[in-house]
Amino acid sequence: MDGQGGAADPQLQQFIEVESQKQRFQQLVHQMTEVCWEKCMDKPGPKLDSRTETCLGNCVERFIDTSQFILNRLEQTQRSRGSSSESMMD
Amino acid sequence: MDSFDNFNSSEKAEASELQRMIAVEQQKAQFQAQVHSFTDICWDKCVESPGSKLDHRTETCLVSCVERFIDTTLTITNRFTQMVQKGAH
Repeated sequence: MDGQGGAADPQLQQFIEVESQKQRFQQLVHQMTEVCWEKCMDKPGPKLDSRTETCLGNCVERFIDTSQFILNRLEQTQRSRGSSSESMMD
Repeated sequence: MDSFDNFNSSEKAEASELQRMIAVEQQKAQFQAQVHSFTDICWDKCVESPGSKLDHRTETCLVSCVERFIDTTLTITNRFTQMVQKGAH
């Protein structure tokens, strides 16, 4: 690269953003796999039966719902308390 | 640090070989980490109270465990991908 700083290179920025997004996705998948395995899998059998599959599907959706719900609630609480200090998020 | 393009041909060969070796070691390390992870997970699911040997039922459970965990990972990846594509996030 030609001595252009990383900050000034939009292509590099784009690349970094895409890779970061992929990483966040992977982390979530990893986390949900752990959590939902615990919730839905009793004793591993010879195949993934439909009850377990349904549970896993619900688990993913409820996990995201829960995450979103908590985030909203926290933002609400922060707003109503009128805290002028730094945001808790990011 | 020297750019690869400035290397002579024998330095290039060395650098490529080194890169290849690093990739192999990384792969080994990744595999080992995966084995550890499965051992952890499937020990919890399949081993109740450790006996004097690994009985047949436990062995069957362990085999199923690894396979079902992979199935689970795929199921969750697909479902989550679906959700993301629908713009739920």
